[in-house]
Amino acid sequence: MQKKPEGLDFSTVIASTVHDMKNSLGMLMQAYQQWSADLPADLTDNRERGVIEYESLRLNGMLVQMLSLYKLGVNQLPMRPAWMEVEDFLQAQLARHNEILGSRHITGSYEVEEDGQLAFFDAELVGSVVGNVINNSIRYARSAIHLKAWTEDEQLVLSISDDGQGYPPSMIEDQSDYVLGINMSTGSTGLGLYFGQRIAELHQRNGQKGHIQLLNGGPLNGGEFRIYLP
Amino acid sequence: MIDYSKNRFLVVDDFSEFRTSVIGMLRLMAVKQADSAPRGEDAIAMCRNTQYDVILHDYNLGAGKNGQQVLEELHHLKLISPHCIFVMCTAESSQAMVMSALECEPDAYLTKPFNRASLQQRLDKLVERKTALKPILDALAKQDHRAVLAACEKVTVEHKRFAPQCLRYQANALKALGQRAELEKLLQAQLTDRPMPWAIIALGNLWLEQGKLEQALELFRSAISQFPMLPALFDGLAAVMAAMGEPKQAQEYIEQGIKISPNSLQRQQSLGKLAKANGDFDNAVRAYRQAVDLGQNSQFRDPESHLGLAASLNEQAGDQAPNPRAVLEIRKTLGDLGKSWKGDANLQVRAQLMEASTLIKTGDQREADKLIQQASTQLGELDTFFSAEVALEVAEQLKALGQEEQAKGILHTCAEMYGDDANVMHLIAEQTDDPAILNGGKAAQELNRQGIRLYQQKQFAEALPLFREAQALQPRNISFALNTAQSLLRMLLAQPDPELKAQCLDCLDQVRSMPASDARYERYQKLCNTVAGL
Repeated sequence: MQKKPEGLDFSTVIASTVHDMKNSLGMLMQAYQQWSADLPADLTDNRERGVIEYESLRLNGMLVQMLSLYKLGVNQLPMRPAWMEVEDFLQAQLARHNEILGSRHITGSYEVEEDGQLAFFDAELVGSVVGNVINNSIRYARSAIHLKAWTEDEQLVLSISDDGQGYPPSMIEDQSDYVLGINMSTGSTGLGLYFGQRIAELHQRNGQKGHIQLLNGGPLNGGEFRIYLP
Repeated sequence: MIDYSKNRFLVVDDFSEFRTSVIGMLRLMAVKQADSAPRGEDAIAMCRNTQYDVILHDYNLGAGKNGQQVLEELHHLKLISPHCIFVMCTAESSQAMVMSALECEPDAYLTKPFNRASLQQRLDKLVERKTALKPILDALAKQDHRAVLAACEKVTVEHKRFAPQCLRYQANALKALGQRAELEKLLQAQLTDRPMPWAIIALGNLWLEQGKLEQALELFRSAISQFPMLPALFDGLAAVMAAMGEPKQAQEYIEQGIKISPNSLQRQQSLGKLAKANGDFDNAVRAYRQAVDLGQNSQFRDPESHLGLAASLNEQAGDQAPNPRAVLEIRKTLGDLGKSWKGDANLQVRAQLMEASTLIKTGDQREADKLIQQASTQLGELDTFFSAEVALEVAEQLKALGQEEQAKGILHTCAEMYGDDANVMHLIAEQTDDPAILNGGKAAQELNRQGIRLYQQKQFAEALPLFREAQALQPRNISFALNTAQSLLRMLLAQPDPELKAQCLDCLDQVRSMPASDARYERYQKLCNTVAGL
């Protein structure tokens, strides 16, 4: 790359910068965790801590999403599906948000339809989608977030629901626009949905592609995000 | 709650803050024994002295070896047992997964940054899995592949959720046992429903081995549209193309794989070899140079990269003298080869011939003659002969250096040792039309063929004289000697006879110069040991 800087297109510049940013952010988060672990509890149990942890995880998620979208664009996103225990997967998603959920007094729970249920998907990619959705839900939830997994027409369905106000009705109505990327410019939520849809679509079986869906109501009577994986 | 107090942990990361932070998390999980290291090289050294239960290893460690290379070396050197949990920590795990070789995967990837809850959740699950798979891992540690198969069946029944893992162990065991039909069935059954990358590659390689080239090609091609970032698929395609006699296309595929994952020594080496064979010396030089570089700190360094680099630099200049920089690089490369593989006389000979041809081009005939003289003397004293491939290369070199007689001698030995392989004879015929070399083995080969037919019908006593006669005609032929020895062994097992035993050992001794790289070497050693022990 250093040999001919005039040949660099801007998306490559962004991608490699995002990569560096992600590393820096990682170091920051690590240093912060280290530092706060050494402080007495009454100094760290405050609102600012929650903000730092929440926003840094959110930033991290956005950077991952950006990098993945870039790679999707240049057909370089590695897809490595494998058999995965769904319960493990859901637990791992909650564990990543453990501190934030705790500091915001939100209960995170999960349920799987059957014990030891296995599913075939790329845990890394789907994990970044679910992680972003959880992060979003944390902002809107009052006191609870619930993850659920079940099978519908031989497809795995993962849902993330909260007890917040739910999605604005316009978003529910226009969701196909969001997933097509048409409404991308209206805000970060749109880009997140677009990302989720693309990752879902990468999962295919016998010609059937995955997709996402937004609902209101849900088990906690708030918003519900579903990702269908064939 | 899983008790980690008795487990030994190793944390490897180039950032000290990260090491401290992870060890802090481990302490909160009641871990008592946790070591840490900044570099992969340190990790390997530490694993020599300590059996770790869990290794948390960063993927990208800056200048030295990366996590994948460390993992491969730990496996190669047998420094970690199958029971050890190896977790690859990455800032961007998708990237590391792309790089990962499919044969040697870590137990898990953990994306940085992670918190204590994530670490504990992941480790708990891994411990649970390793515990459930213990019967398989025990068998694997003993390299008892039959026991692995039995254990897989048992674990699949007892822990249904680990069935996918069991399948993979099962496939590896079937491969090790050479049970190709069962392996093919298992892989195909897997792939009809779900396209698992490991199974695709295993099936493609199996078909390639069996010569089902069209099927392998179709499988790899369709997989690439789904998994465009898997370099192993391009390796497979390149191998298929090479087998189909399309070296140019093979090179193109390898180049695509290298674009995705440039830091693979073996891949650069294959590219060098293909490019050199295609006469594309610029690319050959580049690839071999990379391979030499990558090999510097690697367990898998291979002298063929050095020889390939020197040869390609030499060829790059055509009939002209290579430019001074190239001459310097050739000298340096061959010097490095001489130092690194000091005791290997075969390599010395090849390096001397290589340097001689450069010297001739630069006009230094006298120095060249000296080297050729040295090489000729050494050639006569080699303990082990070259592989067929190398022998053909050396013969060609000798001929180019005007050493016709020596070249013939090499071809003669090559024809005697490997002449029952039609491919080898075909290549020899490209270099000589001497009937003594080309037809010398025909009678013996016919005898051997008849012998095999009888042996397959379990008529051992009838097969033996045929093999014996074949061997008498061509004492250094590896196949004839091994077949004779094996028939003698059959008789010895039925009835001990010191005279037969002596004959058997004598016939094995005739092929003692076979290179250890030969596919039959293991069979040869086994025979030697069995007979000697009778």
